[in-house]
Amino acid sequence: MTDPRATQLIDEAMKMRLSRRSVMRRASALGISAGALGGVLAATGHAKAAPKAAVFIQERVMNTLAATYFVPEGQTFFTQVAEDWASQNGVTITTDYIGWPDLQPRIAAAVEGGSGPDVIEMWDIWPYLYQEKMVPVQELAEKVSEQYGGFYEWVTKTASVDGQWYSIPHGSSSSAFAYRISLLEEAGIEDPKNNFPKTWEELFTLGKTLKEMGKPIGQALGQSLGDPPSFAYPYMWAYGGMEVEEDGTTPAINKPEFVEALQAFTQTWKDAFDETGLSWDDGANNRAFLSDQISMTLNGSSVYLAAVAAKAGESTLDYEVQVDPDDIWHAGYPEGPAGRYNVLGSRSYAAMNYSPNADAAVEFLDYFFSPEIFLPWLESQGGYIIPMAPGYADDEMYTGNPALAPYPEVSDYSRNRGYAGPANQKAAESSARYVVVNTFAQAIQSGDAAGAVGQAEAQLRRIYG
Amino acid sequence: MVGSNVLTQRLLKLWLPLLLYGVFLLFPFAWMLIVSLKPDQLLLDTRRNPFALTSVTLNNYRYLLTETEFPRWIWNTMVVTVGATLLSLACSILIGYALGRFQFRGGNTIGIAIFLLYLVPPTLLFIPLSQIVAGFKLYNTYWSLILVYPTFLIPFASWLLMGYFRTISKELEDAALVDGATRLRAMTQIVLPLAIPGVLSAAIFCFTLSWNEFLYALVLMGSGDMKTVPVGVVSDLIKADVYFWGALMAAGILGSVPVAAAYAFLVDNYVSGLTAGATKG
Amino acid sequence: MFTSCLTVGAWESLMSVVTAKAEPDPGQQTAGRARARFWDREAPLAYLFMIPGLLILLLFMGYPFFLGIYLSLTDKMVGFADFSFVGLENYQLLLDDPVFHRTVANTLIYSFVTVPFKLVLGLGLALVLNQTFRFSRFVRAGLLLPWIVPTAISSLAWLMLFDSVLSPVSWVLKDWGVIQSNINFLGDRWNAISAICVANVWRGLPFFAISILAGLQAVAPELHEAAALDGANAWQRFVAVTLPTIRNIILITTLFSIIFTFSDFQLIYVLTKGGPASSTHVFGTYAYQTMGFSALGQAAAIALSMLPFLAIFAAILLREIRKED
Repeated sequence: MTDPRATQLIDEAMKMRLSRRSVMRRASALGISAGALGGVLAATGHAKAAPKAAVFIQERVMNTLAATYFVPEGQTFFTQVAEDWASQNGVTITTDYIGWPDLQPRIAAAVEGGSGPDVIEMWDIWPYLYQEKMVPVQELAEKVSEQYGGFYEWVTKTASVDGQWYSIPHGSSSSAFAYRISLLEEAGIEDPKNNFPKTWEELFTLGKTLKEMGKPIGQALGQSLGDPPSFAYPYMWAYGGMEVEEDGTTPAINKPEFVEALQAFTQTWKDAFDETGLSWDDGANNRAFLSDQISMTLNGSSVYLAAVAAKAGESTLDYEVQVDPDDIWHAGYPEGPAGRYNVLGSRSYAAMNYSPNADAAVEFLDYFFSPEIFLPWLESQGGYIIPMAPGYADDEMYTGNPALAPYPEVSDYSRNRGYAGPANQKAAESSARYVVVNTFAQAIQSGDAAGAVGQAEAQLRRIYG
Repeated sequence: MVGSNVLTQRLLKLWLPLLLYGVFLLFPFAWMLIVSLKPDQLLLDTRRNPFALTSVTLNNYRYLLTETEFPRWIWNTMVVTVGATLLSLACSILIGYALGRFQFRGGNTIGIAIFLLYLVPPTLLFIPLSQIVAGFKLYNTYWSLILVYPTFLIPFASWLLMGYFRTISKELEDAALVDGATRLRAMTQIVLPLAIPGVLSAAIFCFTLSWNEFLYALVLMGSGDMKTVPVGVVSDLIKADVYFWGALMAAGILGSVPVAAAYAFLVDNYVSGLTAGATKG
Repeated sequence: MFTSCLTVGAWESLMSVVTAKAEPDPGQQTAGRARARFWDREAPLAYLFMIPGLLILLLFMGYPFFLGIYLSLTDKMVGFADFSFVGLENYQLLLDDPVFHRTVANTLIYSFVTVPFKLVLGLGLALVLNQTFRFSRFVRAGLLLPWIVPTAISSLAWLMLFDSVLSPVSWVLKDWGVIQSNINFLGDRWNAISAICVANVWRGLPFFAISILAGLQAVAPELHEAAALDGANAWQRFVAVTLPTIRNIILITTLFSIIFTFSDFQLIYVLTKGGPASSTHVFGTYAYQTMGFSALGQAAAIALSMLPFLAIFAAILLREIRKED
């Protein structure tokens, strides 16, 4: 069981008095398994050995289900962690990864049929939907929260069910504007790294120039759960519109400032955006950006990371990246009269209560969220997943690359779906029906912002009323 | 003169329409083939004609066959498809025969009932089905799909066969019965051979639909190494917001051409051979 | 109408063979009675034949079907044990739901545009393929390909072809100077519906062709020869000889194709997910979207709203199929 590389690393660490973080970084560079890493850390006095589960496991086969990773190394790492844990506990484990859109039918079939994966990854406010079939993990959640300096508010608001924990949050991918430095320069912006437009209006003015240059802004406004909401909700909030008032029942989208801003946006869409964006899905803007068709887009850091990998000759894509990563920079959201916002919800892992291995599944979560495992797992994804708590927010994976700095910052100005009401089932319904996104799409198609907002208001009244 | 006239006729009635159909039906398929063979760096290169294959690579196929579980998915799909097809055909031949050739009380009602059950869409059915499958402890086993697929195969297959059985003359069968053959013998030895083209098109129908199915395969048998081709391909070759086009399309090609070839060699042989025999006899 | 080209006698004898309808004429009274006795004994065998198939259908389809109807009358949420009976409330909600209205319209348009195309083109293809020619088996199998490629993958190929920014079609046409900007295939309701229809016809056409082709094999060449001797031209022979034989198969295939098209899900889900602005939803995608917030009762009501429409088409076509019995 002793990995010679692990032995070597222990030697190295003792001789050079490496810090815990350096040990972990070396370990991931050497490709040492997570289990062995726990041993290394213990041997070098950096941590207690990774907790060993002593649960009685009734069935010897377990199964985890998660969304396919954008950063493949993270997926390999997770699989390795699960297998190490399983072998320590005398079980076999299979790890499944499927696309986000296919995850919900799998969960629905599992919770209704009463058999399926033991551990499932949840997205944003899904715990509200599946709480009854998830094992309550209040104690563990509190322990994890404490360990990492306390969950951020946006995490607690979205991943817990009104403060009750049924899953353990692990952060989220986030979004920021990825833009081309050279194109912004060409459009007359001096030092684009530091002078990205501060307001939506300035941004749109810049967009007009960019579109005249043949490189519009790219924004998906089709019916997909990733990129379209990350534009629509923040823009609506920046102009004072909301799904509901604080009471959680009164629709609050029909605000004159928002209707006016939306009306202006229908023209801006023609002047500054790629107008085919109405049909884009979450992948379309990545392709358009990396094949040099657009000048900027709201996205996770995947666009940039893909360009970096391509330049290093380790492309994770199957088409040629025509953009140099050095020409890509990122900026946080601009602001409007009502402020600056982003929409954010934490992903989380849940143990399912229909499982005959429910206790073991919780044990696995305990193991997975220990710093010896969890932090290297985040590192293996290069900071793609932003922190759920401040305890490791200053880690080099988040601060090391100034180009990516805006991503973790979004948690400072984010709101939940359903704001100003709580995140709950109704917010999930509004999100799944694309009420906010479709208000934009509808306004663009009809040219009638007031009409689109009116329709949305009626729909919100049906949902929340 | 006559020869060229026949040729013109042939051209107009056969080759020209075939060409037109071919262009429409194979154009997207050709696109899949091109994408699967194109080197990565040329895939979205807008400076070149997208349909031109200036250089060819088998990398996507190699990736699919060695770096993913594709061979295993093919095997799973094959087991499920063959099982479901055989089961459905057996049931459908019996039902189609009974509905098409027997007069019995309640026949029409049953025929319509079978049809009506069909009107419920899978987007709804997958939830109760997952309960049943879990109840029988069949979750993530081949049997889950082998038993579930017939629900959407039997209705059409038995109706198609019913229609087909009705087109076959009753005189032959009656003659055999008068000669003292049993009903079962008359059915298996006289009617069934004549119905082979119908049975085979029902078989192609069953095979293809099982081969293609996605939603049930995802929720009932989508875990670990039990995935079918459509489920495996979609979950492993679309990573978050990144599509692996070349490998996806290669999977489409590898997941269909062998089946088409099997149809060409096995099925068509039977269809023409047996029909020729039947009409001559 | 077509008897004009055939002597009445020839026509009748022809029909009796084609439709396999042995009208007992006076000379066969005794044989008829013997057969009548036999029909009586057919029933047990018939029921026996039905058992295996019906067992599977009842178990795996009958139970979910009735459960689905029941759930559509409740406020059941996925994953929650408690729910209550709400009567027709879910259906009432749909009546006031503008997205649902559009869903109904889209589904009807989608079916009534694609099914006739698939039928006519499929019949044409079957007739072309029914000729004997070299390599016919490869051509037949090759033209089946659209139907064989897993829809999950072929719809991705269409997604590429219809891509808003990098569609190879837009790309080539721009190169040739035919168009100035990219074609907005999926970003506009009518464009998107047309694009979806094209992809649907592409995938469904071989299904018609293969079904009808099987029917064509049952047409006895002697009948064609007899009709030709009577002076019928190709079209008349088609109408008088071929069409009656394959009539039932055409009707059955059409009926099932309407159902497939009506409850189609995957193609539209991959191409538009019902967008933009919920303008391209069909029953399948809208019910699926409803499952996204776990409202199983509502989703069941959406899916079951298809039934009356399908029942009407089914009744019409079934009557046609039965007419001849």
